[in-house]
Amino acid sequence: MPTAHSIQSIDFLTAFSESVLAYPIVLSIHLTCIALFGGMILATDLRLLGVAFKGLTITEVVTSLRAWKRIGGTIMIAMGLLLAASEAEKYAPNPFFWTKMIILGLIGVHALIFRPIVYNKTEELDRSPVIPTKAKVAAILSLVLWTSMFVMGRLIAYWD
Amino acid sequence: MPLQNAVADALNNSEWVFALAECVHIGGFAVAIGSIALVDFRMLNLGLRRATAARILRDTELWTVVALLFVMFSGVALFLSQVDIYRVNLIFPIKMYVLAAALIYNFTVHRRVATMENPPPFVSKLVAMVSLLLWVSVVFGGIFTGFLV
Repeated sequence: MPTAHSIQSIDFLTAFSESVLAYPIVLSIHLTCIALFGGMILATDLRLLGVAFKGLTITEVVTSLRAWKRIGGTIMIAMGLLLAASEAEKYAPNPFFWTKMIILGLIGVHALIFRPIVYNKTEELDRSPVIPTKAKVAAILSLVLWTSMFVMGRLIAYWD
Repeated sequence: MPLQNAVADALNNSEWVFALAECVHIGGFAVAIGSIALVDFRMLNLGLRRATAARILRDTELWTVVALLFVMFSGVALFLSQVDIYRVNLIFPIKMYVLAAALIYNFTVHRRVATMENPPPFVSKLVAMVSLLLWVSVVFGGIFTGFLV
């Protein structure tokens, strides 16, 4: 695959994938982001479902974790792209990788749909006597999408 | 050991079972370490600042414990499926020692300081940073175990 080959042949990326330590370190950082920020995504989703952190308002949970989730997500995606680019030829025909990228796209769509009506409208959600269905739908979809992300991620290595 | 063989056979005969065990392991540590991290971030005066660390700990403790059980059960299953490989792996024992330290630390020092009414900020932050360092080391240990195979 000429494109994939030319991507991973970029000097920096070649050196990266040949370095014994660099690849596992980047992968470890990628997984560490899952560990540290996965809990924050879970906390937000569980609060939107009204299942956890009921002592805090939805506004408090969502706004106080927002910056950290963005930082974590940025690092996670950056590390992921680095891993993929350095092994572009191996990833290019891998259906698990592309499924994962599609799911990542769906996560972006999820944000576009639910930010204006749920995540940026937390005061409205807090005022409502019962948590609106749209918030619960957002939370469930978020949990399903992110779970699919790490499952697909793990399966990447299983493709021959 | 019959149990070891039964588990090993199940996991090795069906590749998807092994992959499933790994996914349970990852999902488990995402919830376990993630919930501990919520407490740690608070102890560093970051994240859920409207709640106390004690409150966050109380709200997440059950999630942490159940998730850790999933992590450890899946971990044992993964180990049993390739005992010989893990036995000679140089990183794996280190990961286990760090895991033991992280677990003991989490349920002793960490718990003690997190539930304190007015802990000195310096102590809170130090305890939180050690906690994060230990758990992140376990994650790194897991990846490097795989790379040494």
